[in-house]
Amino acid sequence: MDVLQLIANGMMAGGVLAVPAIGLAAMYSVLRFPNFAIASHATAGAFAGWIANASLGLPVLPSLIVALLAGGAIGLLTDEFVLRPFRRAGFITTAIGSLALTIGLENVVRLVFGNEMRGYDLPLARDVVLAGIHIGPQQLQNVMVSVVVMALVFGFLSFTRMGKAMRAVADNPPLADIKGIDARMVARIVSFMGMGLAGLGGMLIGLDSSIDPLTGFRVMLPIFAAAVVGGLGSIPGAVAGALVVGVAEELSLLALPPSYKSTVAFLAIILILAVRPRGIFGREAY
Amino acid sequence: MKRRTFLSGAAGLAVGLALPYLARAQGGPLKLGVLTPLTGAGAQDGPRMLKAMQAVVDEVNKAGGVLGRQIALIVEDDQTNPEAAVRAAQKLVGVDGVPVIMGTWASAVTSAVAPVCWDSKTCLMTVSGADSITQLPHQGYIFRTQPTTTLQATKHAEYIVSTGAKKVAYLAVQTPFAVTMKDIMTAVLEKNGSSIVRGVVYEPAKASYRSEIDSVLAAKPDMIYLNSYSPDLTVLLKDLFRAGYTGGRFTQSYAYNAKTAESLPAEVTDGLVAVQPSSDVDSNAYALLQKRLGVASPDSYEAQATDWVSLTLLAIEKSKKTSGADIRDAVRSISQGSGARVASAVEGLKLLREGKDVNYDGASGNCDFNEKGDIIDCRFRYSLAKGAKFELIKIV
Repeated sequence: MDVLQLIANGMMAGGVLAVPAIGLAAMYSVLRFPNFAIASHATAGAFAGWIANASLGLPVLPSLIVALLAGGAIGLLTDEFVLRPFRRAGFITTAIGSLALTIGLENVVRLVFGNEMRGYDLPLARDVVLAGIHIGPQQLQNVMVSVVVMALVFGFLSFTRMGKAMRAVADNPPLADIKGIDARMVARIVSFMGMGLAGLGGMLIGLDSSIDPLTGFRVMLPIFAAAVVGGLGSIPGAVAGALVVGVAEELSLLALPPSYKSTVAFLAIILILAVRPRGIFGREAY
Repeated sequence: MKRRTFLSGAAGLAVGLALPYLARAQGGPLKLGVLTPLTGAGAQDGPRMLKAMQAVVDEVNKAGGVLGRQIALIVEDDQTNPEAAVRAAQKLVGVDGVPVIMGTWASAVTSAVAPVCWDSKTCLMTVSGADSITQLPHQGYIFRTQPTTTLQATKHAEYIVSTGAKKVAYLAVQTPFAVTMKDIMTAVLEKNGSSIVRGVVYEPAKASYRSEIDSVLAAKPDMIYLNSYSPDLTVLLKDLFRAGYTGGRFTQSYAYNAKTAESLPAEVTDGLVAVQPSSDVDSNAYALLQKRLGVASPDSYEAQATDWVSLTLLAIEKSKKTSGADIRDAVRSISQGSGARVASAVEGLKLLREGKDVNYDGASGNCDFNEKGDIIDCRFRYSLAKGAKFELIKIV
């Protein structure tokens, strides 16, 4: 099998996975718990984007913005009313609460939209062949959207006051508090951003396949693997982790039957935790 | 008070206290278990199967029930997930004490639930196709209205041969029947001058199968057999289109159903051939099913669900008992043999109450079972995808 083709396929898959992985990493760095609810927020975002695209007839790009905003808004609300009360009880309790939240939210989606699969209203294009490697135009577009979003996230964290405040809280919460940074506001912003990225990522994944209430749940493992491999809490790490997991899953086909693909994400987690628990980039938020 | 008076009084009192309980046990509804996928990959079929069963139960309840009792379906969701299904089955047999569980869909789920059933002497009625299921030591408790993998694979391979395809690729989601099916098809194809040029078993629920498709297309097939479930089939069909594949594609109707068709553009699906075990569309039971559900063409799953609950109720009436073992022993005495042919539970129950023998011919087929619990014969329907519609090719 063509190794370059496998790497290309892996980069495309990883590029899209990176978006929700960044969201997970950002939330972890500030709120200090792994937010499993990212799965159902990805699903919710995908369905919001579907309403915009298939029901209201908006083109794909504005629909992606709808997915982002919907994921973010739901994330803001669920964090404020469901997860925040858990945080006082500690990290494990909040993580378990987020698991319960993801199951609940997934079933709300199921209640409203039913179980059937839905496809976005967009024309399918045949692959283009570049130097012997075939790539789908939609995949390219998805990856470009990912890259733009990543650039925006980095810009936000580096150049805006709120972004810097967020990094300060992630780095040293007591110090940030002394300097007068409103931790609660930062928590709200990061929940909005993190879950918004999850919603956007959910729709990007759906664009290439189809969506149903389990869309987010299916990618939860690779998203977590990406964040852990990159160093849970590190945003550049999440991008690197997503690419590593994406490419590793595809390259595993050289040695393993395709039915073992998911093993790769688990193996990546075990390997990184055993050899370099800080992940590739360590636990720096930025 | 004399001792005798006291004793008879006490006995009378005890009986009096116990009476409401006895009356309730006798007159309360007869509980039957439904364990079907309401969520997960089978969620397209589970709710419809449930509706079909409920419709028969409503009809029978209206006509006076069975053994003078009303029937209640106790419904659990198997989530198309073996682990969740086992928990639900244990609840059905342990808490509700149902004598039969109807509706498991995925082979992996049925295989997991089966031991719970035979250990508790509970019948299990299923649409799962894997051959291995009825080869389990199930002591007769499994009844399967779906043709076995062997029967299906043989018929499918014969159809593929009839299209003139010579180089067939086999692409299957990981299931208990994925490998068996490939072996049987290989044998039939090779006997007829075709062959399987590439076989790939892939993992379910991935967002992309590009690398798997690349590997299959490298073998230059002129027909691809997609042994998939709906979520992965959508991805595969899109990826095949993107890769520019123009040869034949063949899949199961449980994967390519009306909902799947709606979620995909016509250019991706046109020309796909979908096969399913056909209901006995010319039968009286099928006509009754159409009327009962108010649906123009109920599919094979709705037909099979109708038949399970009908067979169960007839078996209970026949044996005059309600345990799982009694149902198991009585099924063949009402499903086959020389009794009067009946097409519905209500009709059969009436004759049984009059002391006559019946032979239930169902909506899914004539429901004759062999000693392993498999149906003996079945028809298949082949359809062609065109737009979001299906064109009938043939029923054989």
